[in-house]
Amino acid sequence: MAAPSPLATRIVEEHAAASDSLPAGVVSRERRRSAIDTLAVQGLPTSRDENWKYANLRPLDKVRFAPLAADASANADALSPVTLADLPPRIEGYARYTFVDGVFFPALSAPAERTGISVVSLRSDPERAKRTPPAYALREQSPSKDARFALLNEAFATDGASIRVAAGTDCPTCIELVFVANRDSQTAASYPRVELHVEAGATLGLIERHLSVGSDANFVNTAVSVDIARGASVNHYRVQQSGARAIWFDTLSAVLAQDATYRLHGVSLGGLSARSTINVQLAGERADAGIYVVSLGDRQQVQDAFVLVDHVAPRARSEQIFRGISAGRARVTFNGMVVVRKGAQGTDSQQSLRGLLAGPDAEIDVRPQLEIYTDDVRCSHGATAGKLDDNMLFYLLSRGLDPETAQRLLKWAFLEDVVAKIEVPELRRQIEHSLAGQLKDAAALKELL
Amino acid sequence: MLKIENLHVSVDGKEILKGLTLDVGAGEVHAIMGPNGSGKSTLAYALAGRPGYEITAGKVTFGERDLMSLAPEERAREGVFLGFQYPVEIPGVNNVYLLKAALNAARKHRGLPEVDAFEFLGLVREKMKVMHMDEAFLSRGVNEGFSGGEKKRNEVLQMLMLEPRLAILDETDSGLDIDALKVVANGVNTLRSPERSVVLVTHYQRLLDYIVPDYVHVLVRGRIARSGDKSLALELDRRGYDWISEEAA
Ligand SMILES: Nc1ncnc2c1ncn2[C@@H]1O[C@H](COP(=O)(O)OP(=O)(O)OP(=O)(O)O)[C@@H](O)[C@H]1O
Ligand SMILES: [Mg+2]
Repeated sequence: MAAPSPLATRIVEEHAAASDSLPAGVVSRERRRSAIDTLAVQGLPTSRDENWKYANLRPLDKVRFAPLAADASANADALSPVTLADLPPRIEGYARYTFVDGVFFPALSAPAERTGISVVSLRSDPERAKRTPPAYALREQSPSKDARFALLNEAFATDGASIRVAAGTDCPTCIELVFVANRDSQTAASYPRVELHVEAGATLGLIERHLSVGSDANFVNTAVSVDIARGASVNHYRVQQSGARAIWFDTLSAVLAQDATYRLHGVSLGGLSARSTINVQLAGERADAGIYVVSLGDRQQVQDAFVLVDHVAPRARSEQIFRGISAGRARVTFNGMVVVRKGAQGTDSQQSLRGLLAGPDAEIDVRPQLEIYTDDVRCSHGATAGKLDDNMLFYLLSRGLDPETAQRLLKWAFLEDVVAKIEVPELRRQIEHSLAGQLKDAAALKELL
Repeated sequence: MLKIENLHVSVDGKEILKGLTLDVGAGEVHAIMGPNGSGKSTLAYALAGRPGYEITAGKVTFGERDLMSLAPEERAREGVFLGFQYPVEIPGVNNVYLLKAALNAARKHRGLPEVDAFEFLGLVREKMKVMHMDEAFLSRGVNEGFSGGEKKRNEVLQMLMLEPRLAILDETDSGLDIDALKVVANGVNTLRSPERSVVLVTHYQRLLDYIVPDYVHVLVRGRIARSGDKSLALELDRRGYDWISEEAA
């Protein structure tokens, strides 16, 4: 066996040093051990790995992997430099749970008691870790090598949110999780963690935000597991607005049972280097997944997403829509893979991936990938990457609009159909403002909002 | 108002307009006819400043200004309006937003404040009535899913809102049913005034029954081959273009 890479060696060492202070209630010692053992052997992905070519992995050489010691954060409420004013406005009807550097902060939260809904901080409920393994542990096959960052989270996580929605509960306007990264990447890492179990027939609306307060150069490594039981339905909104120098990694694994519905809306704006690895498994018949992603990159940003939709069961449906804009010297990529396994007959799978190049030095890459092992499938796939349409641009200029406004308007229009899918009006407005801000023309676009 | 002298225009290195001269006075309506591919749209695009339309020789003055030295958006703000032969669909850009942005761009250029929202809506409603357009069109994407005729009406609606000094309408009558043709013609006539000029590109003399031109020109192979009054259009209707092409050759 090859010797562990220097990076893997450092992870193992940092883990050994931190291990005593890592709360066993969040992830059991055995699971942490096994995660670190796997990482020691496999290391973290490198740009030589097939699905990691476009991610910016270099900053990992300089980050500290260990989180803030548990006792420090236990007492951190009083010390926190994060205040309510740093957080985005609350959205009516959504109970808020705020985590700073991965640890639950009651003072910044606004929980709500709701019948059938349980939200607990992972470290406050040590027994829970034994009862409910996360979704990727439930899969029929072992976690893929693309989930190695989730193992890193498993090894180091200091807290997280465990959400359980009881069978038949109806809560479409429900929970908001706010993950604030606060420490510099050289001081401590932040490990946001979510374990979501939605029982049969329940409905849930979940907002998940990621932002930076204090240092804008954090190392954040998020792991989210989503388990949706028979006939249940989840609307999941994820907004990534980390600081300009943040290194942001993310692994989301979802498993959908029979007749389950999952709508995943991702908006990725922040970070210097961001990578999302999303794996949605349609494990039950007629499961239905929609994945809608918007990424904007500017300056030196890297926005990389890898989405695997895995059709295991028959007659399931999936849709992926991606819209990305790359400006400055940024790199924006979306790699959308669909696997239709043997036995997944009657699969209906659609992809519409579009990238827009908004500058001579920008880079964009959209890649649809298809692996089909059964005959009876309906798959439609469209992927385009290009510049703004000259005809549209000239039309707007011929009406007297200045070139900058015309371009921003067209960029806006390019994103519009995905943004319009956000069904929470207040959240959509907030996101539209952020997008307009990133397109650097909030004033000219304000009337659109 | 508009003075075109010996205009040569090339597209992708191919010369399309080959020395076109035309004088459009204030308050006049000029119809431009001519066979397919003779360069009518090329002229319209060149006047509006479309990228890729290279002026290799000649001069165009609009009022006191050298039109060709202006960027497309500046021409628009100066009061040049192009009604496109094929208006482009722009999904995601709201029709009413474009109207307002266009109007405000022109107002700003003239040193006027932005139009008041209430006043603006009143104005749009009034113009839509002229064009027999349903208000539902306002909230749609620009030309998105519009029928051919609806797109043309939308072009004229924009023109009515912007009140240009020079309107160049490139086959705005093509694809219209008879009622729509009257509506569009009525829209253009609403705009006619001693200080506004109109250049109408058309294939059909029928339009000229409703918008009576002061002059009719025939464009053949990149040049004006013949000019006349309304009766020239009637003659073309009877005889076609061949005789002029032959004369020009
Ligand atoms: N990019 C190009 N490269 C070469 N030739 C071109 C290009 N664009 C236009 N042309 C040619 O220029 C000529 C004039 O085109 P134009 O569209 O101006 O004609 P038109 O008079 O408007 O015709 P129609 O009545 O069909 O609308 C045509 O022969 C056309 O093929
Ligand atoms: Mg034409």
